[in-house]
Amino acid sequence: MPQTTIYVAPRLSGAPDNSLPAVSTLELARLFGRSAALAGVSLRVETGRIVGLLGANGAGKTTLLRILATAIRPSFGSAQVDGLDVARDGDVVRSRIAYLSHANGLYDDLTAAENLRFAARLLDVPSPEVEPRIRAALADVGLRLAADQRVSGFSAGMRKRLALGRLLLSPHSVVLLDEPHAALDEEGMRLVDELIGRWREAGITVVVASHAIDRLAPLLDGSVRLDAGLIAAIEGDGVSHNTAPNPFVTPVTLGAAR
Amino acid sequence: MTLPRTAWVALTIARKDALAELRGKHATTSTLFFAAVVLLLFGFALGPDTRRLQEAAPGLLWLAIVFAGLLAVGRLHLIETDDGALEQLALYPIDRRAIYAGKAVSGLAAMLILGIVLLGVVAILYGIDLAGAWPALVLTLGLGCIGFAAVGTFYAGVTVRMRAREVMLPLLMLPVIAPLLLAAVKATAAALGGDPFGELAAWLQLLAGYDIIMIIAAAATYGFLLEE
Amino acid sequence: MKTRVLGIIGLLAVIAAAIFGLFVVPPDANQGDAQRIMYVHVASAWLAYLSFGVTALAGLLYLWKRDLRFDAVALAGAEVGVMFTAFAIWGGMMWGKPVWGTFWQWEDPRLTTTALLLALYVGYLLLRHLTDDPMRRATRAAIVGIVAAIDIPIVHFSVIWWRGLHQTATFADPTKILHPSAPGLFVLALMGMLTAFTLVWGYLMIRRYQLARIAWQIEEHGRLGRITAARRAAVERAAPPPPSAAPGVVDGRVEEAGS
Repeated sequence: MPQTTIYVAPRLSGAPDNSLPAVSTLELARLFGRSAALAGVSLRVETGRIVGLLGANGAGKTTLLRILATAIRPSFGSAQVDGLDVARDGDVVRSRIAYLSHANGLYDDLTAAENLRFAARLLDVPSPEVEPRIRAALADVGLRLAADQRVSGFSAGMRKRLALGRLLLSPHSVVLLDEPHAALDEEGMRLVDELIGRWREAGITVVVASHAIDRLAPLLDGSVRLDAGLIAAIEGDGVSHNTAPNPFVTPVTLGAAR
Repeated sequence: MTLPRTAWVALTIARKDALAELRGKHATTSTLFFAAVVLLLFGFALGPDTRRLQEAAPGLLWLAIVFAGLLAVGRLHLIETDDGALEQLALYPIDRRAIYAGKAVSGLAAMLILGIVLLGVVAILYGIDLAGAWPALVLTLGLGCIGFAAVGTFYAGVTVRMRAREVMLPLLMLPVIAPLLLAAVKATAAALGGDPFGELAAWLQLLAGYDIIMIIAAAATYGFLLEE
Repeated sequence: MKTRVLGIIGLLAVIAAAIFGLFVVPPDANQGDAQRIMYVHVASAWLAYLSFGVTALAGLLYLWKRDLRFDAVALAGAEVGVMFTAFAIWGGMMWGKPVWGTFWQWEDPRLTTTALLLALYVGYLLLRHLTDDPMRRATRAAIVGIVAAIDIPIVHFSVIWWRGLHQTATFADPTKILHPSAPGLFVLALMGMLTAFTLVWGYLMIRRYQLARIAWQIEEHGRLGRITAARRAAVERAAPPPPSAAPGVVDGRVEEAGS
């Protein structure tokens, strides 16, 4: 299988290597209408580690990833990516993360190559690099032959592959994957595993939510199990409870409700 | 992000919309036919007296543009929600004003096509002589469509992820575009009538002022919608 | 308590101003008793504009500070404003019937503007109603409230031009056709009613804000309760019945916070 270069976002100036966690959250909570999707999660993920996010449906995995990706704001608490607050420095955070969500964010009437070209332009890929990177990304995710087909004719697995291909276009420091194995065939799942391996080699932090624990386990440094919006268990390296006092936020006080 | 880059991103988004439109749904064509049918029905409602239709023509033209435009700007935002594309768009490291500007530019393109074709339909159906009024009419159409696209894109963004958006878009938007409708109808009437009272320039100024204020207000606030 | 005093003073002021306007000021030379509607009509219109200004300002402050208390102020402004707008339109129509002979006078820029104002803010309230998440609701409402407020002067301006530019206006500006028999008393009555209405407006605004805060606190209490319940359930799952058992793998601070 061809190998594209993995582009890595440069470290932020003033941040000594690995001293800063790639992801840290403090008392992070998010409420939707009548339910608490996250009920206070304090987590620390070290730079360059591959961390699994486990838990049943509705445990809060997607919500956590969406907050880190700056797609939604937290209701309480704070979250930082590479030391940057997601609510305050959203612009910079967005330039450092790659996020694979449930929805693929593709345009049906455009071809696979056109979808990637659109993404590459918005990701500010230098113009002479655009076409080579698109070709390489398409080859990497096994869509080379489907490059000029419209996405409306794609299967769910092909769409997922194309969305994965978009992550390969530009430099990142943190990759967030929400159920990357969903809808993929055996070869596609192998592809995801291989990509995770390459991100690890490049020193990129990966947080991956998945139900396919058995498949994922050998790839992970550590894992967090969420249950009903809270941390239920932490195993392995690279991830820990965040106890560092954060000067920027006041944690929610929850004593009153008893 | 620098201004040229913002403008370039906006054009990239608009170009993507145009490509999807030409490729796929041909929605502008169906919107056009809808508006033409509306104009035909106005004829039934007010005709068969041609003179009455001619007197009402500027108002009827702009009502048809407004109805068709509501569909056009609403749909341009809907194509972004099919596969979570709007959320994806909000996650690119780009100036969020560029997203607004891009959608507004594609909205403007759709509106201009609608406006020009509907002007022709009005001329044919209601027997109006357009000769001699061209420059003023083109200016009026242009300014009116710019304002409509600016306001319409903003409200389409407000309502696109809402319950009952089909009702909420016109409900929120129509009162806001009342000055635009008023000025555009008056300017069109003045242009067609040869501007006997010399009021055309005043109406065009009002349109231009409305456009500028609304573009600034909408561009400054649209970004907040994307960080819900 | 202080709010109640304000309400009582406002109510008394309205009664006093009404008695003054109805019985002390002599009828208008041209319009007779119909002109007396002006007192409440003008006061309502002024307060409608004031309310919507407050809504826009509170929206701006919300976007800046992200404090939901500003959203409660915005809601109070919009609801109270819609009430006074409806009142102003009703007064205008009641005044128009005897003076102009019709309830609705298209030549009057004020009436037309006010009708659009009502539509703008009824839409604003519906938008709030249709959005469940408090933060999302506050953001959407804030920007729609700001854009609506920017639109108001343009609407007013354009409607004045609409009437003025083509010279068919049969009715002059309504204020210019007033012929008060006793100008001093008329102005005094108008000012009195304006003050009285503004006091009542202040009372209504404060009460509506307080109500919004209480509703929000109930909602918020429920939310925090749900978070606490989720945490307690997690603690109990990890360390069954004897409450003194070690928290095990569960975050130690959870128990601390829940106790």
